[in-house]
Amino acid sequence: MSALNYEADVTLLLEGSYPFVRGGVSGWVHQLIEGLPEVRFALVYLGAERPPREAPRYILPPNVCSLHCHYLMDGAASGVPTARPGDPAYFAASARLHEWFRDPQGAPESAWLDQALLQKGQASGQCSQDFFHSQAAWQQITESYARHCPDASFHAYFWAVRNMHTPLMKLAAVARTIAPSRVFHSVTTGYAGLLGAMLSQQSGRPLILTEHGIYTKERKIELQSLFLREQQGWFSALPETGMEHYDQMWVRLFEGMGRLTYAQADPVIALYEQNRQRQIRDGAAPERTCIIPNGVDVARFAPLRARRPEATPMVLGLIGRIVPIKDIKTFIRAVGALAVRLPEVEGWLIGPEEEDPAYAEECKALVRSLGLENRIRFLGFQKVEDFLPQLGLLLLTSISEAFPLAILESHASGLPVLATDVGACRDLIDGKEPADCALGRAGDVVPIVDHDALARAAFDLLTDPARWRAAQQAGIDRVERYYQQSRVIDSYRAIYQTMGAR
Amino acid sequence: MAGIGFELRRMFSKDTLSGRLQAYTFAAVIGSGPWVLSIVAILAIGLINTRRSAPADAVAQFQVSVTYLMAFSLILTSPLQLMFTRFIADRLFEQRPRLILANLFGALVVTFAAAGAVGAVALALWFDGPLLYRQCMLSGFVILCGIWMVVIFASAIKAYQHILLVFLMGYAMTVGVSLGLRGFGLSGLLLGFVIGQACLFFALLALVVRQYPGDLMVSFDFLRRGQMFPSLIWTGLFYNVGAWADKFIFWADPFTGVDVAGPLRASPIYDLPIFLSYLSLIPGMAVFLIRIETDFAGKCERFYLTITNGGTLAQIMAARKDLVEAVRGGMFAIFKVQGATTVILLLMGEELLAWFDIAPIYRVLLNIDLLAVAVQLLLLTVLNVLFYLDQRRAAFQLCLLFLVSNTLFSLLTLHLGPAFFGYGFALAVLLTGSMGLLILSQKLDQLDYETFMLQPVV
Repeated sequence: MSALNYEADVTLLLEGSYPFVRGGVSGWVHQLIEGLPEVRFALVYLGAERPPREAPRYILPPNVCSLHCHYLMDGAASGVPTARPGDPAYFAASARLHEWFRDPQGAPESAWLDQALLQKGQASGQCSQDFFHSQAAWQQITESYARHCPDASFHAYFWAVRNMHTPLMKLAAVARTIAPSRVFHSVTTGYAGLLGAMLSQQSGRPLILTEHGIYTKERKIELQSLFLREQQGWFSALPETGMEHYDQMWVRLFEGMGRLTYAQADPVIALYEQNRQRQIRDGAAPERTCIIPNGVDVARFAPLRARRPEATPMVLGLIGRIVPIKDIKTFIRAVGALAVRLPEVEGWLIGPEEEDPAYAEECKALVRSLGLENRIRFLGFQKVEDFLPQLGLLLLTSISEAFPLAILESHASGLPVLATDVGACRDLIDGKEPADCALGRAGDVVPIVDHDALARAAFDLLTDPARWRAAQQAGIDRVERYYQQSRVIDSYRAIYQTMGAR
Repeated sequence: MAGIGFELRRMFSKDTLSGRLQAYTFAAVIGSGPWVLSIVAILAIGLINTRRSAPADAVAQFQVSVTYLMAFSLILTSPLQLMFTRFIADRLFEQRPRLILANLFGALVVTFAAAGAVGAVALALWFDGPLLYRQCMLSGFVILCGIWMVVIFASAIKAYQHILLVFLMGYAMTVGVSLGLRGFGLSGLLLGFVIGQACLFFALLALVVRQYPGDLMVSFDFLRRGQMFPSLIWTGLFYNVGAWADKFIFWADPFTGVDVAGPLRASPIYDLPIFLSYLSLIPGMAVFLIRIETDFAGKCERFYLTITNGGTLAQIMAARKDLVEAVRGGMFAIFKVQGATTVILLLMGEELLAWFDIAPIYRVLLNIDLLAVAVQLLLLTVLNVLFYLDQRRAAFQLCLLFLVSNTLFSLLTLHLGPAFFGYGFALAVLLTGSMGLLILSQKLDQLDYETFMLQPVV
């Protein structure tokens, strides 16, 4: 196989992240690429809809040899609809794949990937036509409807099925366009992971999977918040929309895509133990899983420690996008609760607001209604280094997190952290193994959506200088010993080398 | 958090839900109802005048002149008729009724210009005779074209009673005025017709203008790309040319046709029985109007509403069944009434002919024509149902088949001799009608599949 001319050493499959969307995953990808200048990277970006114009938010390092963008919700260009019988083999494979999604016993058959997803041996667009317009598809859709949700609105069901499959049809077309690569590396399951599984199946090259968050769980939260927003008021009766059923369909799709990705990927990398367990529960083979935590360039943040003022500033900072999953409202309420006991306290929100302007507006309305206009500052996207020394405590109120880089950066800069008990936050603050725990607590951990607990913990840390200093030192020690960026880079260099040589 | 944030709201939005499903309300009266009425009027004028001993030549020339005006005005406007019906249905569905009136005026401008130009050229090339006669022919042609356009707008509001009333008044006037002017011969009769039709046109126009709101004066939106359905243009043209094809052939043939008025030819042997037969359609048309335009149209709307209002598949299938039942029931009702009428007329054919002063030798031709027009009503019903179900392609194919078969079979019977006259037309409607039933039954079977699966992907 060495004679094959690979266009890239590693093709990164990125769904809704790098280089167009800022965030933890994007930052991680950027650091990975910069950390491995000898590796040639090709980037495949999957977006939902093509925005009017989209500029990369990161300057692509010189070792990125290509960037291809595909938008999965853009028209599936299926031409003029014409009646057709449909290919029975294709629908038989698809039916069995759907059964496996509902009841995942055993490994997926490679024929499913070949026939149902990659649409091998079919002219491009053929299956798409079949799926959208054929008699066989109609039969499959109506039978499935009659079996699983005969009481739901059929029109809504029909369009839900169509909408769910539109990106998959597009994905099959995308897979045909991607250049040969030594390895494929996806940083999520979902569509990018599935594309990776398809590419790996198509080319026989390995697929590496790194999961930061929990894709399926994040989608569930998204679905729920959308569902709630659809409702008029909390106390009005929920309309009989059958929405729960479509939610289940979407969740099953995301779970199924995850399973197909796990079945194809080796290694399956998690950032921390809980997530590794969850991957195994969701279908990853235990022997293929491993943990590579995130790292931080400690040297970049170490000088900030000297720039800290003598007295601890009474400022709570939250570094993150203003989006519901970060639970900004609880942060605002916590500042409000704390202000009663600590009159000089302020809350700074450091992060872009453009992702969900409606939510940002809701947060600002909450600030006004609580009379906190003088305490809460919306600072927008900022260079973190400029603000870390001005904070007295980093707060993380997220209802879901994976392995927040902000905590590592905060540790490295000598700032204690108060976080909700989600993702790897407890590991990062309290320590994992005994030797790690012995370094001490780098702050505090509280339950989610509990602004009183947050306010109490913040009060204790801010008003007890000895405890604050101890937390600062524990954070510095922990990040320097366990979470150096160079360790992460070395691990991936090794993985790329071994998998690429296969 | 990486991953695509799904705009589920977009997917579940009402826009997608109501999707591209809409029930089209096609008015059946186009090209059929008014046409039958006109034939009644022509015959009535002829009859009354003959009884009152107007010059027989003039009456025959008048009848032929008006028949030509009817035929060619229907054909000239046919490309616009169905297209316009669809345009109105779409605007009403979008709840933009304000656009309709301005487009009516736009359509009238186009129609008048085209009719005026075509009529003037035809007059210059082929017609001589008194100036008044020629003027009446031209203005009659333009006015008839205008009537066919306005009646589409009138039928779209489903004010059938008003339309009927206006038509009755218009034709009473036509008959009355021609009667009064019959002393002036052909030109007098025709002037009477023109005056009556002009009144009818303005009465219809008043009916429509009163009904639709509007601020714009004239608009030509209907000609814009995207608003046009080319297949509807051809469907309308083919149907109307098809309906006249056998008549044209018999007029043109040197053996069956005779010169009546200048370049206008007629076929006394062929025309009288067939126009007489069209009279027999009146009861069937009435049932058709009631069963298809009300019963079936309601079921059809119900079917699409069940889908868009979140019905389950079982409910959708039940609505489809109702719809199929309505088609079947409607067809059967038409069949019963039209069948009974036809049978009665078949039995009393001799008396009928005697009453109209037609030689008994036409009896055979009358019988076959009576059967043929009954089948034509069936074909009309099928076409109408297909339009409701937005099966433009099937309707197009049927109308093309009608035109081709009517032309071929009529030519064939012409060669086979008088014993076969009428069979060509009968065979053509029978073939097209059965084919139509076959297609319709297939479309109804697949209605659920086609309604959903042949929607374009967003």
